[in-house]
Formats: sequence, C-alpha cells, structure tokens
Amino acid sequence: MRSMRSIWFWLSAAALVLLIVFLVIPLATMLTGSFGGGERNGWAMLAADPRYLTAIINTLLLGLAVTATTTLIGVPLAYFTARFDFPGKGIVAVLPLVTLVIPEVIPAQTWLMMVGNNGLITRYLAARDIDLPSFYGWPGLVTVMTFTYYTYVYIGTLAAIRGFDVQLEEAAQSLGTSPVRSRLKVMLPVVLPAVLASSLLVFTLVVGNFATATILGNRVPLLSVLTYQAAVSEGGSDPVMQSTLASVSVAMIMAVLFLQRWIVSRGRHQVTQGRGAVAARLRGGAGLVIGAFAAVVVVVSLMPLVSIIVGAFTVSRGPVMRWGEWTTAHLERLITSAPGPVLNSLAYSAVATTIGIAFSALVSYLIVKKRNPLTPWLDYLAALPLALSGTIIGIGLVLTFNTGYLQLTGTASIIVLAYIVRRLPFGIRNASSTLYNLPDSIEEASISLGVPPVATFFKVVLPLMLPAIAAAAVLTWTTTVAELSASIIVYSGGRETMPIQVYKLIDSNLMAQASAYGLVLVAVILIPIIVATKVFRIDLFGSRG
Amino acid sequence: MGIQIDDLAVAYGGQRVIDGLQLAIEPGTFFTLLGPSGCGKTTLLRTIAGFLAAERGSLKFGGTDVTRLPPHQRDIGMVFQDYALFPDKTVFDNVAYGLRARKVAGPALRERVAAALDRVGLGHLGDRHPAALSGGQRQRVALARALVIQPRVLLMDEPLSNLDAKLRVQVRETIITLQREARITTVFVTHDREEALAMSDRIGVMNQGRLEQVGTPAEIYREPRTGYVADFVGGANLLPVQTAAREAGDVGPVTIDGGTTIQARAPARLVAGAAVLVARPEDIGLVGRGEPAPAAALAAAVTTIGASTQAGTVTHRQYLGGKTSYRVRLGDGPTLTVDVQNGAHDRFEPGAAVSLVFDPTRTLVLAA
Repeated sequence: MRSMRSIWFWLSAAALVLLIVFLVIPLATMLTGSFGGGERNGWAMLAADPRYLTAIINTLLLGLAVTATTTLIGVPLAYFTARFDFPGKGIVAVLPLVTLVIPEVIPAQTWLMMVGNNGLITRYLAARDIDLPSFYGWPGLVTVMTFTYYTYVYIGTLAAIRGFDVQLEEAAQSLGTSPVRSRLKVMLPVVLPAVLASSLLVFTLVVGNFATATILGNRVPLLSVLTYQAAVSEGGSDPVMQSTLASVSVAMIMAVLFLQRWIVSRGRHQVTQGRGAVAARLRGGAGLVIGAFAAVVVVVSLMPLVSIIVGAFTVSRGPVMRWGEWTTAHLERLITSAPGPVLNSLAYSAVATTIGIAFSALVSYLIVKKRNPLTPWLDYLAALPLALSGTIIGIGLVLTFNTGYLQLTGTASIIVLAYIVRRLPFGIRNASSTLYNLPDSIEEASISLGVPPVATFFKVVLPLMLPAIAAAAVLTWTTTVAELSASIIVYSGGRETMPIQVYKLIDSNLMAQASAYGLVLVAVILIPIIVATKVFRIDLFGSRG
Repeated sequence: MGIQIDDLAVAYGGQRVIDGLQLAIEPGTFFTLLGPSGCGKTTLLRTIAGFLAAERGSLKFGGTDVTRLPPHQRDIGMVFQDYALFPDKTVFDNVAYGLRARKVAGPALRERVAAALDRVGLGHLGDRHPAALSGGQRQRVALARALVIQPRVLLMDEPLSNLDAKLRVQVRETIITLQREARITTVFVTHDREEALAMSDRIGVMNQGRLEQVGTPAEIYREPRTGYVADFVGGANLLPVQTAAREAGDVGPVTIDGGTTIQARAPARLVAGAAVLVARPEDIGLVGRGEPAPAAALAAAVTTIGASTQAGTVTHRQYLGGKTSYRVRLGDGPTLTVDVQNGAHDRFEPGAAVSLVFDPTRTLVLAA
C-alpha cells in the first residue's frame, strides 16, 4: 500500500514541478514586472496616461456588449432548438462545429472582405449610391465577436434546457400555473445558472481576444492590443507596461471566472434524471419566423468559410480584389514558393498535441483517480491557463525564457510550449471525462487478479480512456493549429505559423493571399474533424461545451 | 486456506473504523460479514484484500503473514457489487485476464476459461461484451473471473445487491454451489440477513467496527448474544426489563415496565438489574381473550414450565398473504409486533382484545 501510493505521489510531484516551471514562474515573472525597476512603476504610469484608462473602459464595454448580444442570439436559438421543430432545424446542428473550425484570425478578415472599405458588399452597394458606415471600430468589433462567440452561449444553454426535467413544468401546471408562467417560474431558475456561466465565459474570451481586436479596433484602444503593442512595439518593447496591462486583464478575467464559479456552484440544483421534452412542431407563421431567424444566424456564421474560399480563388492586384475573376495562382504560389508557415504549423501542432495529450492524460488520471496531498494543487494549476489570455501566456514565456538557465526565446520549442500551456485545461477536461464515469472497482478488480497498479493503468484504464484521448487530441490539434495570440508574441523570424502569416497578410491588406493561407488552415482543421467523427465515430462535441 | 486476523486496526477517511478486531476463519468456510451500512464490514473486507492498509495488527492467509503484501500479490479473487467487468473486453477476455497475468497461455488458457464459463452456465457467451449481458449474467462472469485463478481466498462485496429479487436467489445458488465444490475460503459481505442466513457456514455480525457475535446461522438467529444481533438478524421485539441474577440456561420471571411479569430464558449469565427481553414476532402466540393457547404453537417445554399469557389489544394489522403481522399493545405498556401464520391468521381486527402467549424457551433475556 505504502509503496503503491508513492509512485503516484512522485508522478504528481513531477507534474507539479513542470507546471511551476512553465506556468507559475512565467506568470509570476510577468506580474511582478509591473512594479518595474527603480522609478518606472507600471501602476503609476497606468494612472498617469488616460489612454490606458480608456482602454480598460473600452474593454469592459466591449465585453458587456458582446456578452449581451451573444446571449440575445444564443439563448433563443437554444430554446427553439430544444423545444420546437421548425423548418431547417437540421442545419442548426452544425453550429458547434463553426466556432471550432473558424480560427480566431479568420472572421475579422472575412468580414472585412465583405463589408470593409474595399469589400464585396460595400462596393456593390456603393455602385448603387448606398454608403455603408465604416466597419472599423465598434460596429465591426461587436458584430464579429458576436458571431464568433455566441455558440458558447448556445451550447451551454442547450445542454441545460435538454437536461431539464419536463415533469417539473408539468407539476407546476398541475398546481394551477399557466404553461408560460410555469416555464418562467420553474425552468428559468434551473437553466439560468448555465446561461450566466456561458455568458461570463464569453466575457472572458472577449477580454482576451487579440486577433479581432487588433484587426478591427485601430480606432478603439483595447487592453489586449495595447498589451501586445507594449510587448512587440517597433521602438523597442516596454516590459514594465506590458506586465502592468497584462496584470489588469488577468485580474479582470479572474474576477469574472470566480463570479462564474460562484454562480455555477450556487445553481447546482439536484435535477434528477427526468424526462426530456418532446419538441413541439411549429407550423405556419411562427415556424417561418423562427426558421428564418435560425437560418440567418447559421448563414452569417458560415459566411467566413464561404468568403475565404471565394477570396482564395479571386484575382487580386495588390490590395485590390477583382471580384468575379478567378485564379488558382494564390494557392500555387503558397505551395511552390512559400510553404514555410504551413509546414511550421503542422510540425509545431503535431509536437504540441503529442506532448500535451500525454501530459493531460496523466494529470487527469492523477487528479481523478489517485488523490494525494498534491492533487488539489495540480487541479488548480492545471486550470490556471483558463484565466490567462494567449497574449499573457506569450508574454510570460518570453520574459521568463529569454535568458537564464533555460533559454527558449527564438526557438521553435517556445511556440510549442505556448500551445501546450494554453490548451492544458481543455485537454485535461476532455481526458478526465471518462475517468469520472469509471468506477474504482474496475481497477481494483484488475489488481485483485494479480496485475500491479501501474500495469493496471496501461492494461485497463488507458484503453477505456482512448476515445476521450482521441477526442482531446483532435480538439488540441484544431485549436493549436489555429492559435494566434500567444504564438505571435513568442515566434521569431522564419517560424511563422499559418495564423501568423494570415495576420501579417491582412495587416498588409493582401486579402487574397491571406485567404489562401486561411483556406489551407481551415482544411488542416476540418479534415481531422471529419475523419474523427465520420470514420472513427468519435464524439467530439459531447454534452461538454 | 484459513484467515487469521489479530488485533487489527484500520483507519478510513481519517477515522479509526476498526480497532482491535480479532477473527479466525477456518479453511473452506463460507464466512459472512453481516451488518448495516457504515458498520465497517466493507472496510474489513477491503483490508483483507489489501486495498486498505492496516494501521496495527496482523493478517494471515493459511499461516503466511500478508499484512504488508500489496493486493496484487495476495492471490485473492474478488467480486464487486457493481460487477467491475472490463467493459472493453469480451467475456472470454475478462475471465482470461487473471490467468494471462499468471502467464497462462495457449490451449491451457482456453481450456480453463471455457471450463470456468461452463461452470457458471455461460459457456456460450464468451464472445459477448459485458454491455450485452443481463445483471445476473454479468455477476456470473465476475464470479468465473475471480474463481478461474484458483485464489487462496474469495472476497465478495455485496455481490447480489444490484440484482432484482428473483435473480438474486439464482445467483445465490450458483455462488453456494461453486464455493462448496471448490471449498474455497470465502468472505462475503452483505447487509441482507436472509442472504447471510441462507448462504453462510458462519456469520459475523458487525456493529460500529466490532464483531458483535460470530456463529452459525442457527446460533446467530436462535441464540443472539445481544439485542443488536437479535434485532439485525431478524426483526425482534426488544423490551427493557428488570431481572434477578441468572445462570446460563435458567428460565425465570422478568419484569416489564408497568409490572407485567414474563417467563424468559437467559442464554448467558446475568447479573441482577436492567436487562433486555428479546421475543421474535413469530415466536409469540396470539389467541382471542379467554381462548386456550393452541398447543401446536408452543414448544413441549411450555407444558412443564407453563407459558406466560398476557392480555393485549390489537392496534394495527398488515395482511401479508402467507401471514399477518399485528401490532399489539401489551396491557398499558409497550407495543409488540406479532406474526401469525397458522389458520385464519388475519382474523383479529384492530381493537380486538387478545392474549399474547410467550414461549419461555424462545423468549430470551440478555444483558442490556
């Protein structure tokens, strides 16, 4: 017994050391950096320059606005999908895919191709004397982020409504409340915590968002953009200011995450396994209105995918897109003369997926099945990246590993490291999903039959974890291939990944070339998903959002 | 192979659940640990298996000290409440698992697995996965898996409690047959007294981490040493009484509150003072007030010593088909449960004036 415990204990200790070196120390280095050296105190500078205060206020406003709009779209869509049948309901099922498939960097670009200054729709309308307001700034930020993030609210709310026991509603009706009132009085309180939790998640994502913010927000100072600029600005980076700004956004996200946890823990009503609702068929006007609403949402969500295909094959002269004239030149040039970013992305993500998944599987096993005095720490630290935006993780890694005993800045390993750290909480959540359902007696049965504990893990537990691990691997692959905000801070010349390349091309206003890389990026994401779900029948989007 | 437990202490969840436990199980015995949830019976079983460590004391299998041996080296077979079959492996591979760990392979492996599956009547289901089996079939596979390795000791943790009543009786029979055939020392944990009485060679009744009494099923049922055992092994009426000092086996009067006197037997020595009267519902006769006690309802000894007959009033009645269970108020005193099986057993209405007939040999007085 004593010897059996020690091996898991030492594995936990080893995992903890890795987390401290690659997560806690970078975070601490970054946060303490805000106090600067000598007279340069970041907090004093923050208070002195009104631009920073404006950025903080703008970030909060944008967070609130997008939280509101995503809730307004996501909740009704989830409610109608769960409770009603309407024309075109089938296509709503593809929604969870959309958020995964479209990398952070793509939506802003594709919206610009359509309604930007030189966009397809802008030009079409301008030819008919209709002037669209500029898409840059607030309109673009809110629109793009709304359609990037509403799926989180949709998925969270849908799961809650599906899990709701209709018998409670029937009980309320049997006690004399009208159907509408009983729905409001009984279902709403049960579903509300899930809605709030997913809305707050959207808030944290908006605060951390870099790609959309920097592409569309050049007239609106935002925290994530200023942080990035402080880290990599042309005239030499400002470590004190980047630390200060990063600390502000860490504090902001932490506060919201604690609020979210508190809501979730309070809202955990013991809902017994009840009966799900049978979807009511909507006919006539109501069905058409709801069907049209859903259709608009789905079409707008899929628009980036369509426009990236169109853009990749459209003839361009510098920044000018010649809509309606087709060519394969962009893709040919990408393959023959500039395949670097594609190869880099594939290599970095492959390594990050392999290491990240092995580590996640081990840590989730230790957390769920081998509790010891170290596991609570392991549990907390592994969830920590949830509170850190990519920008912050990137800054922390660069600050920590640019000098000293472990010099990684300028190497490929720091990009891989950024990928692994960012993805860690999700990998662990995916890998542990089956572990919670695996009774301890299965392992004990194997041990009682004479197989030692470590061999039992490999012979009994690991095979049962495989579907979850495979799902986690696919999801890790898709998200690391699409990663931008951390890698753009840690990468060095010649190590551009596809999202970085897309970002740079957008910055140079070369939309067609950006689309070509974007198309390859989407293909690299989509193909594993299709293979996993269709060929291996892996459940990637189980009830967990 | 026998099991010898000396001065065992086990802590679980920061609390000492078992302290100074002493138990010897003879080779080949079917031994049942019986008790309510939280009494420590599963803790004791898991300590024997090695999943929980002993803080103090020793544990021997057939004279070999296994106290510090990790579970996978103890050579045990274990059957779990939730079956614990490996869901990704076929029935055959489940049963073969322990043999493969013992480096059995080829025809010998196939032969032994097939024989083990045949013995539980599932020889034809080797290719199935556990999900395709019924609960009873799953537990038979688990049994075959535990027995095929010919363990030194078979440990079973409430193996029948997830099965419905009919299957429970069937699987119970399979377990007994296989255990008797192999004569393998077995420790069986349950909270179901009927299971314990029907299956065991010996039963240990547990209460708060202690073994309250160890004996054959008949001893435990007929000669309980404490009121707790009497009540747990088959619902008993327990009444606080006053008694004079007694030698073991003495039959004599005890006084219930309110002054009623009943003849009762003391299975063990008693000092004078407070004691507890134990009367099983089926051991109390019920007749209409003034009717003579039916001779058949009483043991022969009654005629020599004389039954105690007490006036009572029926307060509640539950008709149960084969018998009727009454609640009867004894004079102005306590209310007792009385089960009547013979004749028109449901003939007394609530409110009926009745007489309770106590058989002195079956009415016990125990130390409080």
